[in-house]
Amino acid sequence: MNLNRVQHSVSSGMVALIGLWVCWVSFTQQPSEAFLFPRMISTVFVLLALWTFAKAVLGWSKVGTGIYAKHFTNMLPGLLIALIYVFWAAKGLGFYTSTSMAFFILLSLYDPASHTEIRTWVKRLIITAVFMVVMYGLFAKLLKVYTPREIFF
Amino acid sequence: MEFIYYFGNVFQPMSFLLLLVGTIGGLILGATPGLSPTMAVALLIPFTFHLEAAQGLILLGAAYTSTVAGGAVSAILLKIPGAPANIATTLDGHTMAKKGKGARALQLSFLASAVGGVFGVLLLIFLTPVLAKWALAFGPSHLFWLAIIGVTIIGSLDSASVVKGLLSGCIGLWLATIGFDDIMGAQRFIFHPALGGGINIIAALIGLFAIPQVLSMFAEGRKDANVEVIEVEKSSLANAIRELFSHTRALSIGTVTGSVIGLIPGVGGQIAGLVAYDQSRKFSPEREKFGTGHSEGVIAAESANNAMVGPSLVPLLTLSIPGSPTAAVLLGGLLIHGIFPGTDLFDNHPDVAWTFINSMLIGQILMCMFGLYIAGLAARVAQVPKSIMAAIVLGLAVFGSYSVQSSMGDVYVMATLGIMMYFLERFGFSAAPLVLGLILGPIAEANFIQGSMIANATDGMGAYFLGGNMNIFLIAIVVASIGYSVGMELRERTRNSTGGEAS
Amino acid sequence: MKKLMTGAAIALAMMTGGAIAGDYPERPVLMMVSYGAGGATDFQARIVTMTAGNDDALGMPIAIINKPGAGGRVGWNWFATQAENDGYTLAAYNIPHFIAQSIKGGVSYSADSFEPIANWGADPAVFVVANDSPFQSMGDVVAYAKANTGKLTFSGAGLFVGHHIAALQIEKAAGVKMAYIPTKGGGAAAMKAVIAGDVMGGVNNLSDAFRAREAGNVRILGVADLQRSDFLPDVPTMAEQGLDVDNSSVNFRGIMVPKGTPQEIIDQLAATVPAMFANSRVAKKMKAGGSPMHIMTRNEVLAMWAAREETLKKLLAGL
Repeated sequence: MNLNRVQHSVSSGMVALIGLWVCWVSFTQQPSEAFLFPRMISTVFVLLALWTFAKAVLGWSKVGTGIYAKHFTNMLPGLLIALIYVFWAAKGLGFYTSTSMAFFILLSLYDPASHTEIRTWVKRLIITAVFMVVMYGLFAKLLKVYTPREIFF
Repeated sequence: MEFIYYFGNVFQPMSFLLLLVGTIGGLILGATPGLSPTMAVALLIPFTFHLEAAQGLILLGAAYTSTVAGGAVSAILLKIPGAPANIATTLDGHTMAKKGKGARALQLSFLASAVGGVFGVLLLIFLTPVLAKWALAFGPSHLFWLAIIGVTIIGSLDSASVVKGLLSGCIGLWLATIGFDDIMGAQRFIFHPALGGGINIIAALIGLFAIPQVLSMFAEGRKDANVEVIEVEKSSLANAIRELFSHTRALSIGTVTGSVIGLIPGVGGQIAGLVAYDQSRKFSPEREKFGTGHSEGVIAAESANNAMVGPSLVPLLTLSIPGSPTAAVLLGGLLIHGIFPGTDLFDNHPDVAWTFINSMLIGQILMCMFGLYIAGLAARVAQVPKSIMAAIVLGLAVFGSYSVQSSMGDVYVMATLGIMMYFLERFGFSAAPLVLGLILGPIAEANFIQGSMIANATDGMGAYFLGGNMNIFLIAIVVASIGYSVGMELRERTRNSTGGEAS
Repeated sequence: MKKLMTGAAIALAMMTGGAIAGDYPERPVLMMVSYGAGGATDFQARIVTMTAGNDDALGMPIAIINKPGAGGRVGWNWFATQAENDGYTLAAYNIPHFIAQSIKGGVSYSADSFEPIANWGADPAVFVVANDSPFQSMGDVVAYAKANTGKLTFSGAGLFVGHHIAALQIEKAAGVKMAYIPTKGGGAAAMKAVIAGDVMGGVNNLSDAFRAREAGNVRILGVADLQRSDFLPDVPTMAEQGLDVDNSSVNFRGIMVPKGTPQEIIDQLAATVPAMFANSRVAKKMKAGGSPMHIMTRNEVLAMWAAREETLKKLLAGL
């Protein structure tokens, strides 16, 4: 309960900080005609955000479950791989190379089947291959999307 | 009744084949995250170079109608709306799929789409001259108020907390201002080069809806698959039809709202679904069931976004003004063949005009038949183990957001917004109002600036924005909508305080 | 079997040979259009590049990608700062738009950031009014503007684009002050404002105005060009109506590459692209769509860019 209150306060505090920053930028930047609309919305933004923050500090926030430690540790490896995949590998290695790698690693990480059996690994490889073929057919062949160049081919 | 003479053209072998290809292809394209109807139609334009005018338009018209409906497939099964039009469909559709009622949700969405779509096209056929006047009646001040009406919906769209709903909406409105300001060309809030082009709405849509899903699946960890295989209920067509017509209120609100809003140039298509969803919730006796997998929500949203297809073409076909991005692309499809929309189209090329319109009518029905056929099969997506699903959705999100305009920046924006949204969702914020803010922001701003420039040159701000029957009518709706939200919030409060700390 | 082997050997030789000789282009080429799908620039770009895959043109298709926003600034900024200069990323340019924007500032490009390849079209700006407007000629417009300073509202597709330049020139030539209303959403939105009566008149593309006139929605009062257009032989130019307006606002459209693209590739493109534009199928489709063509070679375009920059600097100096 108490932890939840701290979490709510931190999260809404961060939103309020963003709101204050947006407000500050809107009211200081030029030309002022271009920032007229941002000024209007950021004022409302800050008021609502401060209200929410105050509610959270007083412990009145009821909606939202907060983050459980177990969920967070479960998620962390997947999140890290997703970050590496999206922010570096996709461009650095090429879409198809990086996607097959990320797909296979994530699949293996979260697949409940036993890691010691060869069959499960073969199954994972097949699923990855099928997914990549579908993606290639859909995006490269059908939609003619030109993705960044691959490093291997 | 002229249109009846041209039905034969649609059923010529080549035309019908194109209609089939366009419909089935459109469903697939529409179900692909990142491919909005506009892009799907733009992709098909090169093919129409080699076709006759009427045949090319059949292909484009069929693709337009079915991509709009196809967007519901990924909205329901993956919770990734294919286009802004399908956002409202995720709210109840995906919850239904999670309960194993995916087949029913898909059937209802296709049936509702067909009903709405046919109604919309019939409006286009019979009422075009009247509708054209109506479409032009919306000046900058009216469009501004219309966007504000959308903003007032924001709060009530989030059932958990009105304040957090509004705050989410404000975040969306702010995100929409990032990038170059459209009229002055000034740079705003560009703190990373990837933001130079602003936040692309489709990329944002994918990130805000898909990434939180992926992360929640990760958060559950390596669970035993056997425990949670969802039983996908079989759903008979007859029952689905019966269910559809037992919700005539949602169906008619969706259809009418969709047709009316779809007509308004520049605003319609993207918000028709959300407005219809919101309206049918307000008028429903079972309003607390919305958001928990209630079929009325799917029916209202999907009937609205297909009903908008026909009317959205009225300004294009009669006045040669494309009222939506998709209509602009269709205009290109006409011009390639030297046909100018407007009087030229209906007087000198009636065969092209009516064959095109008829093909959309028949396209709606084909789309519905094909959609119903795949519904049962597609619903099995819900049974895919979470570990695989998470990886698939992530891959689709990256490819989908990249393909919008071949830009890595959009992929980064997608991922950043998505991760942020995951954490915000844990604290009672939600994605739907945020996206609505993102859509409405530019509409409200551009019309406010444009309106105030006209006002300053003519009779002044007060008279321009507050005078006239239309402005007063729209402002009345704004006030009513706010009043309703406040009333609901207060009622909720009193009920909660008497019933103890329920939530 | 032997046949198959030789076939494979030839194929292999061709593949490696192609890679060594650097046969440009060896894969499809992208072309960035800084306006939305369905806009006039996008529409024309798709037509003029439709024969790129032919052997007498590039031999590889050109794929259009759209990066719309802020009157083209978003796309050209991306093109100047992020596009690779290996010859596989082209862009459509719009003159005077990007030069005017670079003079005004706040963007990371100028005429020196790009290398023109060839020009395909020239779309003059025209002055349009709704069909029920009392204005019959530019003279009426100017007279009204003189009597009601700053009250004559007229729309255009944005600030520092061709329409705005034409608007500035008209105001300057007539010595009047009018209310230019930039719209978001390109020429189509500006045209809608005219037809719906949101504004009293507007500057728009000749191609779009021609179509709107065919649909019976507008009257065209004047063309901001040196001579009358083939599409509108009955519409007088601004100069004929006593307004000293030249062709500075004419929207020239063509293809360019980023600075730093290898000279051989620029030369090769400059040699083949004008011929590709001149293809009879292209001309037919352009004419059908009401889009005036105007093919210019790289050298002519270079001269035109330089001339525009000079006149625009003078015109925009006071702003």
